[in-house]
Amino acid sequence: MRFRRTTKADPLVDDLRRVLPADRVRAASLERSIMGRDASIFEGGQAGPVCFPISTEEVQGCVDAARRHGRAVVPRGAGTGLAGGSVPLDEPVVVVTTKMNRLLSVDVDQRLAWVQPGMINLDLSRAIAPHGLHFAPDPSSQQVCSLGGNVGTNAGGPHCLAHGVTSAHVQAAEVVLMSGEAVVLGDPDGWAPGLDLRGAYVGSEGMMGITTAIAVRLTPNPPAVQTLLLAFDSVDAAAHTVSAVIADGIVPAAIEMMDKNIIWAVENFVGAGFPTDAAAVVIVEVDGLPGGVTAEADRVAELAEERGGRVRRAADDQERALIWKGRKSAFGAIAQIKPNYYLHDTVVPRTRLAEVMNQVYEIVEEHDLQVMNVFHAGDGNLHPLLLYDRREPGVMERVHAAGSAIIEASLAVGGVLSGEHGIGIEKRDFMPLMFSEADLDAQGRLRRAFDPDEMANPGKVLPTGASCADVNALTKVPEGVWG
Amino acid sequence: MSARVSLGIDPEELASCVACGLCLPHCPTFRVTGEEWASPRGRISAMRQVQDQGAAIDQAFLSSMDTCVQCRGCEPACPSGVPFGSMMEATQAELTRRRRLDWRRWGFRVLGHRRLLNLLSRLLGVVQRLRLLPSKRLGLPKIPLAQERLRATGSDVWLFTGCVMDAWQRSTHAAVKRVVEAAGAGVALPGAGAACCGALSLHAGLEDHARSLAIRTMRELEGSAPILVDSAGCGAVLKEYGKHLGTPEAVAFSERVLDVHEWLSDRSDRLPSAGERGQDLIVAVHDPCHLRHVQRAHQPVAEVLSHYATVVALDDDGLCCGAGGAYAAMQPDLAVSIRERKLEAIGRSGANIVASANPGCTIHLANAGVAVRHPLEIVDEVLDHDG
Repeated sequence: MRFRRTTKADPLVDDLRRVLPADRVRAASLERSIMGRDASIFEGGQAGPVCFPISTEEVQGCVDAARRHGRAVVPRGAGTGLAGGSVPLDEPVVVVTTKMNRLLSVDVDQRLAWVQPGMINLDLSRAIAPHGLHFAPDPSSQQVCSLGGNVGTNAGGPHCLAHGVTSAHVQAAEVVLMSGEAVVLGDPDGWAPGLDLRGAYVGSEGMMGITTAIAVRLTPNPPAVQTLLLAFDSVDAAAHTVSAVIADGIVPAAIEMMDKNIIWAVENFVGAGFPTDAAAVVIVEVDGLPGGVTAEADRVAELAEERGGRVRRAADDQERALIWKGRKSAFGAIAQIKPNYYLHDTVVPRTRLAEVMNQVYEIVEEHDLQVMNVFHAGDGNLHPLLLYDRREPGVMERVHAAGSAIIEASLAVGGVLSGEHGIGIEKRDFMPLMFSEADLDAQGRLRRAFDPDEMANPGKVLPTGASCADVNALTKVPEGVWG
Repeated sequence: MSARVSLGIDPEELASCVACGLCLPHCPTFRVTGEEWASPRGRISAMRQVQDQGAAIDQAFLSSMDTCVQCRGCEPACPSGVPFGSMMEATQAELTRRRRLDWRRWGFRVLGHRRLLNLLSRLLGVVQRLRLLPSKRLGLPKIPLAQERLRATGSDVWLFTGCVMDAWQRSTHAAVKRVVEAAGAGVALPGAGAACCGALSLHAGLEDHARSLAIRTMRELEGSAPILVDSAGCGAVLKEYGKHLGTPEAVAFSERVLDVHEWLSDRSDRLPSAGERGQDLIVAVHDPCHLRHVQRAHQPVAEVLSHYATVVALDDDGLCCGAGGAYAAMQPDLAVSIRERKLEAIGRSGANIVASANPGCTIHLANAGVAVRHPLEIVDEVLDHDG
């Protein structure tokens, strides 16, 4: 039999193919459906034409063509976003940056590199490793996520506790605005005078333009590193140890926590010797000069033992790498238990960690669900993963209700909605819980200063209806989210 | 156009991907294209569109499936253990049922007939020498016109010889056999019944043909002696007979199968020393996908080699070289792009020779001008057979 092509005739596609070669503008219905989702739970997206530019000029060409046809534009990197930020709504032109993946230049003395947005985070660190440098933000998806996506979400990672999140490592960004103009925000040679437009742009989730090049700061590799794996018989003891370490004046490079269920799944995958009998484990990494590192590691061990913790120190780089592989594989390991997860990203004051975690367990039990916690304990950034099988009737309502309750509990103690994954579409309608009408209006106006017609990634972050927050909408499921 | 089609994929398997994307950088076709439909996550999404949501099997679907090398590099990368290989095999079987005119349907039949294959191979060799064949484009090596005859020397172990490898690269089997004998074992050789393991047929979706080859092979390699394999692709399938056929005999058979390096690494103390001969050799070990990702038995190659030469690792996380059995012939452009990355890694390693324990990889890399040998050919050359 013959196999049909299912590409519809579309004048927009013809126009885009005047800018890019035909094989880099894809429009088959299957291809558009595949681009309909990222790593979040949102499955209701539908892409228009999918473009793979390789230069700033080609991105400008795509934006111009979309504008002429009155079509919105959604940028996409590796598609590992956890909040649906790059999910296309209403068939926009999707501009994928994966083919723009080159390291443009490295200035070792200035510790600065220009990269294209599709370069993979870990590929950058590997490329500059011979110079004794790395890119500090290390999201758990760093082996696959793109630097453009890191800029879009202002991504964090375990080692951002000491080094700061992406914004602190982006010196400048070249951005194609929806007018088709390419501008450089920030100054690669120093801090630009006047308003920090770079600062406003980093974390804007594709709603101000498309990143086409990034000047990233490079961080020297620490001379010494020690990694400790602390095991506790209770979540409370683990959480209190985290607080105690910081209260003691130590700022480790990373403090990560995993609870019982996720320890099992992760250990099953990596076999790093995680204690599957523990109620929680805490990974603490200290780095710096050798003397200081040893002193700090000893003190962390002491604080853990005082709270009943068992201490294991990674003996070498291999053991250390395996522990981190386990931590960074956690979300992906979920399907060993259930095929779907709904992930939250709230941040709470470190001193309230134990309290909020206990509330999370209660909420989940009330809604007859399973939860796993794996998160950046050092900065109080929770990642409760609600596990479910979407084929089970009625489960979505319970998942959504539990998610709302977790957010409310986090905000009630002075927390925030998202630490690092972004708002995207999944968390969009929770925004009014956190921000007043005036706050949201100000955010909308900032966005329109860059993108007056709201053609860049519309429908994300800010609740629809722009500035009027409709609290009732929170009880409804955003259309399509639970597809 | 189409009524809803099932691809025959186990629904639980199909549901088991959470779409985290951690497989993407481990997929050779995603690495060189950056296109989601050329990634494991995108391919699973495409399978779901067809099997769960009734999307048509169209050109885009076909291209997404057929560009897969089936290297299975995504499997060890997946924290949830999604069985991608088995999903792709089911999909290919369904597609093959629909593609009656595929040349592989009759072409691969030859693989099970040793005499015919040898005859056709010699013909091909003649045509090749008359320069009537774009050999490199087709991913072919220089095919020998005459080959030495291998003779059995005992019954301690079987050496599985396979189809194309025996017809085109029998000198590799000869070297492997000498090394195994040097370790003190008498080698038995299978007859024409075990002419082919069925790997190429299985990957092309010709399940029935693969099954009949498997049954013949099991019958031929009787007894309880270990079955040593010097081709990673064959070894992977022989080790999965138990899974594919599901019979107790097949499970017991698969348990006897060892990559020859696995067997040797336990006996390397019994091998004669190399003397001075291996000193200048810097060998980069290329891990064939079906040894590293499927058999997960790539370490013994470096272990065995390290007794005879300086071994260096490649820094590309074991990414595929693009050979993929018949892939280099079916998808030549992608196969070459994927190979470019491998060549860069080889260049960075500083090695003067590359060891590859799979015939397909050897041919594909040699076609790019790489000095590449089977690991045991390298050992055989430096071994002091008299000492």
